[in-house]
Amino acid sequence: MATTTESRSDSTDSDDGVLARWTQGVIGDDEKRARLYRALFYVASAFFLVTTLFPFYWLLVLAITPNSSILTGDWSLPVVGIEFPHPQGFNPEAFVDVFQQVPLHLHVFNSFVLATATTIIVLLIASLAGYVFGRLEFPGKGPLMLAVLMISYFPPAAFLIPLFDAFLGNAVVIPFLGIELFQPPRLVNTPGSMILPFSALFMPLAIFILTTFYSQIPDGLEDAARVEGTTRLGALFRVIMPLSAPGVATAAVLTFISVYNEYFFSSIMALENVPENWSPLVGAILSYQDQYTTDFNLMAAASIVGVIPILILVIVAQERIVSGLTAGGLKE
Amino acid sequence: MARVSLNNVTKRYEDVVAVDEMNLDIKDGEFVCFVGPSGCGKSTTMETIAGLTKPTEGTIRIGETDVTNLPPKDRGVSMVFQNIALFPHMDVYENISFGLRLRKYDQDEIDRRVEDASEIVQLQGMLDREPNELSGGQQQRVAIARAIVRDPDVFLMDEPLANLDAKLRVHMRTELQRLHKQLDTTIIYVTHDQAEAMTMSDRIAVLNAGQLQQIDPPLTCYNEPANLFVAGFIGSPSMNFTEGELVDGGITTKHFDIEFDTAELGVDPGHEITAGVRPEDIHLTRNDDDIDHSSEVIEATTDVLEPMGDEIFVYLSLDGTSGSSMTSDEAASAANQLLMSVDPDTEIDEDESISVVLDRSKIHLFDTASGDALAHGVVDLSEAERTKAAAESGGQRE
Repeated sequence: MATTTESRSDSTDSDDGVLARWTQGVIGDDEKRARLYRALFYVASAFFLVTTLFPFYWLLVLAITPNSSILTGDWSLPVVGIEFPHPQGFNPEAFVDVFQQVPLHLHVFNSFVLATATTIIVLLIASLAGYVFGRLEFPGKGPLMLAVLMISYFPPAAFLIPLFDAFLGNAVVIPFLGIELFQPPRLVNTPGSMILPFSALFMPLAIFILTTFYSQIPDGLEDAARVEGTTRLGALFRVIMPLSAPGVATAAVLTFISVYNEYFFSSIMALENVPENWSPLVGAILSYQDQYTTDFNLMAAASIVGVIPILILVIVAQERIVSGLTAGGLKE
Repeated sequence: MARVSLNNVTKRYEDVVAVDEMNLDIKDGEFVCFVGPSGCGKSTTMETIAGLTKPTEGTIRIGETDVTNLPPKDRGVSMVFQNIALFPHMDVYENISFGLRLRKYDQDEIDRRVEDASEIVQLQGMLDREPNELSGGQQQRVAIARAIVRDPDVFLMDEPLANLDAKLRVHMRTELQRLHKQLDTTIIYVTHDQAEAMTMSDRIAVLNAGQLQQIDPPLTCYNEPANLFVAGFIGSPSMNFTEGELVDGGITTKHFDIEFDTAELGVDPGHEITAGVRPEDIHLTRNDDDIDHSSEVIEATTDVLEPMGDEIFVYLSLDGTSGSSMTSDEAASAANQLLMSVDPDTEIDEDESISVVLDRSKIHLFDTASGDALAHGVVDLSEAERTKAAAESGGQRE
């Protein structure tokens, strides 16, 4: 660590090696220690910045490099000769092309609507569940919570075929007995076929986050709200939820981003990859690939466009998410 | 303003009975304190009145309405909490107006009422502050303002001063009394601090183990405790108790006897009784205090002195041993010990042999088995007998 290595030799320990003297210096001297910590902080930050930002850099490079250059697969730097992703040519038209080949904005809109609706449903129901689990005592609370946890461990693929069968509008029958229970509505190609499973899948995590947060709100505040004139439900929405804002924001953002990125369910529930069938963003990105060509530059450009709404959301909610992930404590 | 009455209220949890068949009638405009040790059910009783807890049995009426099954918001009560419980995400104005806004009062009315309430608790100019910017006393005043702004029928206060420092507590105590005088609303106040209960309330309700022990004006509870528990709980330091037996024409205990006409007690000789006397009702014979009815002289050795400034607490050892024998059986040493309070300018040393007398008009007799009070003051001796008893040195009792 160049910044912290000190060449000054002390008269008392001049016999020691460089490392020993440096270690002694860091231990004994506050200023040296502060310098070491600062240096370590920069190194760690740089590492995380590079690992998180490099994929975006790569996306950007791919987006503005013409597809023909990408397909040659040669990323050697001009003079040095080392392979490193760098722009080969400048083709910003890719960002226009993505909208011309596929109605990308409609897919982004679909994803956004699906994510928003799911988030609202999840927050609403998980809030009620979180209140019950976090603040009330009742028989069977432990087993019930365990059941929620267990269901959240089921692989989503396990639900796929029965759900698809049901959402196609086929009658639900009891296996082996053949007794017809009911005829579900045909939900494929509608937001319902996606929001329903999404809500169910992301609910357990939200329940656990909100249970933790709601249980930390002092009883006195809820009692005060109830004496002042709210019902239990009113106290939940007027006092407990606002005071758990970091937790609510965390649950909301996690749900939103998960749904926004979702492809597995939606690619099957939307029978064709067109916005009219509520095909989401990822569906659009993959549609730049067809049987004969793969437009990597367009896929990259579409990915960047797709990131923008999330980016805006995160910047707006950033402060709360960070405090929600780190703190969570509340002073009365 | 309204009266509050509890009728056979019982709150049972899985393994404990928190409140046991509580019957209570609180008059309109009265200031009643619930006191008792931790876990005696005083807070639970208050929560059943507030509606935060539903009683297992019994009914609660506020005014003319049976509120047993009403939610807290429809009971016309407001509450001040021990942990203050201001909403941290609202400023002072929003905190005070919370209840009014929920009840959809119009803005002018809300502003006027908040203004009035903040004036009563002297919070003008602080309405736009956040709760965490206020001191403990100011926060408590906001909580009180939030309670009075709705003009409730009954105020419930659950140890509102417990989290304040000692000086502020005394100050707020006075403010609460002033507030009660000003508003003239029924106040039910829970505290474990008997100083608060004694100074503020019209009547004190002493609770123990979920049962009402006595509800009376503070001085009645002090001077005529209904049973052993109240006698020991009210008063600090607590009353001295000595176990003894009722004999024909008096009582006899290990260290002193008192003669009086036992016919009025309504119990037979041989009955186990406990005599109680407060520290301030024990007097040094050499001080020559002017007592109308003094008991026989008791010889004692001073043990530990606790000078409090305005008085000195003197621990008296009756069996002649000093504090060094305290390591033996705790109960036995307590039985051989009396706590006396004397004037601060009394000259008294540790390990000094002294003689004391008890003020007979302040001796309380209790039934040891049931704990019920039998008599307060035993003074039916004739004047001549009293003089004779006082003149004799304590030697007669062995």
